[in-house]
Amino acid sequence: MQQLDFVFAGVGGQGIVVLSDIFCEAAILDGFDVTKAEIHGMAQRGGSITAFARISEKVESPLIETGKADAVIGFEILETARSLPMLKPDGTVIVNTKYIQPSNFNKNLKPKTQQELLNIIKNLSSNVYEVNASNIANQLGNNLTVNTILLGALSALPNMPIKRESFEKAMANKLKEKYLQINLQAFELGRQSVLK
Amino acid sequence: MTSKITVNKPNSFLLLNGDEAVARGAVEANIKVATAYPGTPSTEILETLSQAAKTLNFYAEWSVNEIVSTEIAAGASMTGARAIVSMKHVGLNVASDAIMTLAYTGVESGLVIVVCDDPALHSSQNEQDTRYFAVHSKLPLLDAGNPQEALNMAKEAFQISENLHIPIILRLTTRVAHGKAKVQIGNFQKLERNISFDKNGSRWVMVPANAIRQHRVLEEKLTEAKQLSENSPFNKIEDNNSEIGIIGSGVGYYYARSVLDTKKFSWLKLGFIHPFPSELVKLFASKVKQLVIIEELRPYIEENIQRLKLDITGKAALGLSEIGEYTPDKIRGAFAKLGLAEKASVSSVLDLQPRSPNLCPGCTHRAFYYALNSVNQHVTCDSSKCIGCGTCEKVCSFEKEHVSNFARSRIRVVRVNETDKGAVTCHVCPDAPCVVSCNSGALSKSIKTGIISVDENKCVGCGLCVKACLYGAVFLDSNKKKVFICDTCQGDPVCVKNCPKYALTLVGRANDKIVAGDIGCYSLGFLPPLNTVQSCLCMGSGISQAAGMAHAGVNGKVFAVLGDSTFFHAGMPGLLNVVYNRVNVCVIILDNRIVAMTGHQPTPASGRTAMSDDAKIVSIQEIVKSVGIDKILTVDPYDVKATVEAIREVLTYDGPCVIVSQRSCPLLIERGIPCEVTEKCGSCGLCITNFGCPAITKTSAGRVEIDSTLCSGCGVCVNICPHKAILRRKIQ
Repeated sequence: MQQLDFVFAGVGGQGIVVLSDIFCEAAILDGFDVTKAEIHGMAQRGGSITAFARISEKVESPLIETGKADAVIGFEILETARSLPMLKPDGTVIVNTKYIQPSNFNKNLKPKTQQELLNIIKNLSSNVYEVNASNIANQLGNNLTVNTILLGALSALPNMPIKRESFEKAMANKLKEKYLQINLQAFELGRQSVLK
Repeated sequence: MTSKITVNKPNSFLLLNGDEAVARGAVEANIKVATAYPGTPSTEILETLSQAAKTLNFYAEWSVNEIVSTEIAAGASMTGARAIVSMKHVGLNVASDAIMTLAYTGVESGLVIVVCDDPALHSSQNEQDTRYFAVHSKLPLLDAGNPQEALNMAKEAFQISENLHIPIILRLTTRVAHGKAKVQIGNFQKLERNISFDKNGSRWVMVPANAIRQHRVLEEKLTEAKQLSENSPFNKIEDNNSEIGIIGSGVGYYYARSVLDTKKFSWLKLGFIHPFPSELVKLFASKVKQLVIIEELRPYIEENIQRLKLDITGKAALGLSEIGEYTPDKIRGAFAKLGLAEKASVSSVLDLQPRSPNLCPGCTHRAFYYALNSVNQHVTCDSSKCIGCGTCEKVCSFEKEHVSNFARSRIRVVRVNETDKGAVTCHVCPDAPCVVSCNSGALSKSIKTGIISVDENKCVGCGLCVKACLYGAVFLDSNKKKVFICDTCQGDPVCVKNCPKYALTLVGRANDKIVAGDIGCYSLGFLPPLNTVQSCLCMGSGISQAAGMAHAGVNGKVFAVLGDSTFFHAGMPGLLNVVYNRVNVCVIILDNRIVAMTGHQPTPASGRTAMSDDAKIVSIQEIVKSVGIDKILTVDPYDVKATVEAIREVLTYDGPCVIVSQRSCPLLIERGIPCEVTEKCGSCGLCITNFGCPAITKTSAGRVEIDSTLCSGCGVCVNICPHKAILRRKIQ
């Protein structure tokens, strides 16, 4: 099979590392080779976090070349926009439209609005799935399920070679039992947001 | 908690990062003792091992620093037990005193020293290349390029160490240590070892006569090691009958393979890299016409091949640097330059707001730094909000002189034109030009608060200070012929409370004290808006740097900040030294009960060991007292007011003293009830521009908001808001 490259981007504390782990575990369950790399700053919370996951028969480099990613999965709109140079021309974007605006200590810089960021994303990709995962998670009663909602959306993309059952099994292996049921629900809501 | 590395299914696959893979390799090799001090990116090696220790029946510990951990592993190996010690590259500097001579004594049972380098300094203070330490110490080194190699090398390293009777260095880099991959695991070796110590072995006693003999022994072992590297399975040729041969090590080698069409080149992957396998390289060179070298950081392979009088295409010709890390993009660029790869397509450049590193919401260090910055406070005016109404002048003169007269006010409105307005008052300048200019000794600056006071009995009304003030904030009372200056109403200024446009704020002066920093989360205090910390060199350095500045004769009290774990690691000797040599420094120990930056490992003050057993809670105050510090203050950093008072107290104390700022890292404890901004908020922005909590932001409409998902509920903003406009949310 051909190489498939995924970029996960968001803010520290949103569950990006756990989610990209589950994605890779699911890929292994389906027999793929996989690598994963993470880029984060020194802060424990609140910094930019990017994770790269690559699946194929044989993967050698854990990093993805600029402009070669098949999909960007964004947990937050500014970080999604920041990761878009990684995306290939016909690549797919799944974006949680939540905006976590960073503190701004540079008086010459005018922060972009949520709508401006969404416009940037739509200008750079013709294949954008907007998922209001933060709202869905709130309605579900657990705002920490944002990541599994996005995993559900990712699992439902056309041409996703990893089986739905493998994602669910990987979640069962990775998540604490008391949180599994709500995360499986979240996963299903994420799937529907793409399939509808 | 049972670790995933305990699974006994040989040849099955696990998703492991390089650190976890090293841990798996070590337990497959039947280690008995594992030690480390946390350090990114090596931390997860011992973290993983400590979770597997009870299940697999071995001992694991977080030691107080890297040399202690190395000595423990060495001691274990001297008795016939396999041992592993892991550290980050700069930790190797701390351990190197032991390691340099350990190379001479050698080991009894396998001893593996794992060192994780950090090209591009993702979380480090330098980019040193451990391959050169192998040359320096004359120890063999294996260089892992991915997690599978990390596992295989870790396991094999114990055997090599035992065959040669010397320690082996296993090197990873951040991308290997923290990158995950599908890794095939092996079987658990079962070793029957008789644990005993050879009390008659003169090789353990490194007095000169023994040591020079052992140096000769080490040279002989290195000759043997070279034979091993020449024939090692970790040095592998892939001959594709190409004219171009690529020699590489580490993750950079795999970037090249992923960017290039592998079949068009021949490949030599080097893993057992010291002693350098020169015969193997010569063999490979004889098969190709051009040798291209791919290695991050320093040109170790390059220099070794140049010594063989072979031509190479190295960093210079490729346009690759020894600064920073390689990436697939950089490798493509290098090969495109040689015409050997397609150029990358140009990607769009987006002008986006950075998300700068910052201390977390609720961080105890932020609260302490805010207090440190608030020792010297003064009133400032946001001229974009000031309408020049003169309310501040009226309330000030009424408060201080019981008249409503702008000429008697300690704050003055400046109206440059219709749109440009502002108010000025004393800035409590650190060098106080007004005080310096006064010939009659009437003006003095408070050491505690920085406020300038006027002794009316001495003031002659000459006006020199009025001219000296850079801000026009010293005023002459024309009737009394005395000057008057703002005193911030003892920290609760009436002008700020009454400004109708919220243009005035009482702010602290960051950067008016010398604060030597150290290694830990709290080094982020150098960033805006806190700007509190001014140095960061190495573990434990802050105390002694502060002492050096004091001896050199800088003005005023010098501060040093360091965390609890850094204090245990390398701060204690520095503190003892300032007591012994009596230096006027104040050491601030930011005790959050944990090693926070590396992901919350326990310290001697945590009451818990690496293997989750109970431990004695070591008291920092008792240690500080026992080394001879007489002035020790303990504060809760969330109580900003009390913390400010404690700092003011030490400012007038002459001699070494300590403030312990004590509160658990907020990430360890359950979040409190989040705070919210009420309608009383006038958007003065103090909580953003001076406190800088990432949970507090200003919306595009200019409103201040607190994000409840980020807020830790620490409540410090509630106390620092000058308008009492922040409250805890009501529980519904």
